[in-house]
Amino acid sequence: MLPWVIAHRGATVTEVCERFGYTRKELLADLDLVFVCGLPGYGPGDLMVAYVEDEEVVVETADYFGVAPRLNPAETLALLAAGLTMVGSGQASESLVSAVDKLSRSLLPPDEEVLTVDMQVDATLAPLLRTAAAEGRVCRIEYRALSTDEVTTRDIEPWTVFSSLGNTYVAAHCRRAGADRVFRVDRIKEVVLLEETFQPPARLPEPQVRYTPGENDAIAVIDLLPGAEWVVDYYPVEVLSRDGGVIRVKFSAFEPTVAARLLLRLGSTGSLVEGAVVGEALDRLRARILEKYGVPA
Amino acid sequence: MRNVLERVLNLLAFLLTVGRPVPADEIRRTVAGYDQDNDEAFKRMFERDKDLIRRLGIPIHLRATGTFEVDHGYVIPPDEYRLPDPGLNDEERAALWLAAQVVRIGGETAGMEALLKLGGSQTTDAIEPFGAELGSEVDTLADLYQAIVDRNFVMLTYRDRRRKVAPHGLGHRMGHWYLAAVEGGDTKVYRVDRIEAVEIVEGDAAFARSPGVSVRQALAAHPWEAGSEARVSVVIRFDAEAAWWADRRLDPAVERRPTPDGGVEVTLQVAHLDAFIGWLLTFGAEAEVISPPEVRQAVIDRVRGVA
Repeated sequence: MLPWVIAHRGATVTEVCERFGYTRKELLADLDLVFVCGLPGYGPGDLMVAYVEDEEVVVETADYFGVAPRLNPAETLALLAAGLTMVGSGQASESLVSAVDKLSRSLLPPDEEVLTVDMQVDATLAPLLRTAAAEGRVCRIEYRALSTDEVTTRDIEPWTVFSSLGNTYVAAHCRRAGADRVFRVDRIKEVVLLEETFQPPARLPEPQVRYTPGENDAIAVIDLLPGAEWVVDYYPVEVLSRDGGVIRVKFSAFEPTVAARLLLRLGSTGSLVEGAVVGEALDRLRARILEKYGVPA
Repeated sequence: MRNVLERVLNLLAFLLTVGRPVPADEIRRTVAGYDQDNDEAFKRMFERDKDLIRRLGIPIHLRATGTFEVDHGYVIPPDEYRLPDPGLNDEERAALWLAAQVVRIGGETAGMEALLKLGGSQTTDAIEPFGAELGSEVDTLADLYQAIVDRNFVMLTYRDRRRKVAPHGLGHRMGHWYLAAVEGGDTKVYRVDRIEAVEIVEGDAAFARSPGVSVRQALAAHPWEAGSEARVSVVIRFDAEAAWWADRRLDPAVERRPTPDGGVEVTLQVAHLDAFIGWLLTFGAEAEVISPPEVRQAVIDRVRGVA
């Protein structure tokens, strides 16, 4: 804050607070702190002068703080990554593209590829959904459901498009379900923007997928054998016990097929301990695939 | 905390003004807040403050005070201290502010502190309806980033083994951060969230960057292309119902051959069979491996639960 205020004489309390995310009280407390610091001698003339007069922030005799210190590695990396993410997703404004370009030239070593962010966001649907979210337009989507793999048509009020751990999602209110849902963009077959508009919520949801178990969920208790430990990091499972190399987890999902598909993928490294409904779903899934391959179950 | 800040501000003001290396005992006598009676107490306090200053990104070095290198003192070189002005205008600052709001690394918003040092931004009412969570922890990434820029060798603890590598680049792809590094002459890629520890190798000279090491090129387009195993050509046929979904999930470079029934056939280069089967099975009974027979059998064994 100091370098900017020193460079911008006459800045008002409101301006400084807005620019640096201060409340008035925090700003005054920080100025008080500055006021008691300065150079050895620490008499009048040695200490920095910092106060508010007629709503103007005044900082004097502190020219040595007139330039900002350079960014530490974490700050550099975080800001560049944030900018590169937006640019890489094809969602960046012109200003952001030029800002990232200026920052890269100023902060990164020249001619060396030291930082890249490759978002692999769908080039057609994600921008369309983002536009719909920005304009508050209702969308009609054809969606391949996670639970049944069937394609259904539904009208959604898209709020935000986000990328999390490699997948792109749209958080929306689903009119068909009458509830808030998160849809994976790669599972959306078609998007049509309707004329109808909606009022988005005051606070957009966080860009992450969180599964909250419901009352009617299908529950499975699964033993994860060596090689299947990754499941604990990727799925919202509850770890019941760890015994040698075996991790016993409780898996909760709104449809038994979700757990069945995980078990199918795990093959011999996962075994179903409890959950008859999930077991039946797994058997059906197995039978259908083996039939496709023309071999007995 | 307030006392610490007061003391550190005084120290910074002093070192930025005197422009010469200042011995620790002079700091103790001159700068307000350091006048401790006890030697140990002063030392501890001064060490803590130096750490804090370095974490803020401010370079503080111990240099000789005279040509004979008898006495040493602390100095903050002004040109290392100064943040070079990237010349951002207000619109660009506002755009960065929005980006920093919606991008997270390991659950934390990314880049706000940096933006404050760059002069903050007027807040706008604009809402950015795009967001991203990039995973991983910013601390490990920051350590690796610093080592890349400084060309320091690092000792990685990765998959229970310690390896000395020359870090070249960081890249994010499909939800994970990767480090491209040269280990014993070979370019290798490490997943950052699997790196257990990073230590800078002290005392080694800076390494020379190998030209042509590109983190983007080192990363596989599909998970089954990763790994050092020999690649096998696998032919897969997707049903008409799933053809669009396969299309959406495959790299544009993969050739799509339509089948008469409205489905699609593709040939993929598979190095990591396990990752491939895991991906294939998300299509359920709507995808089938046509060849080679051993991959077809591997899928059948997996479905039967015997592999």
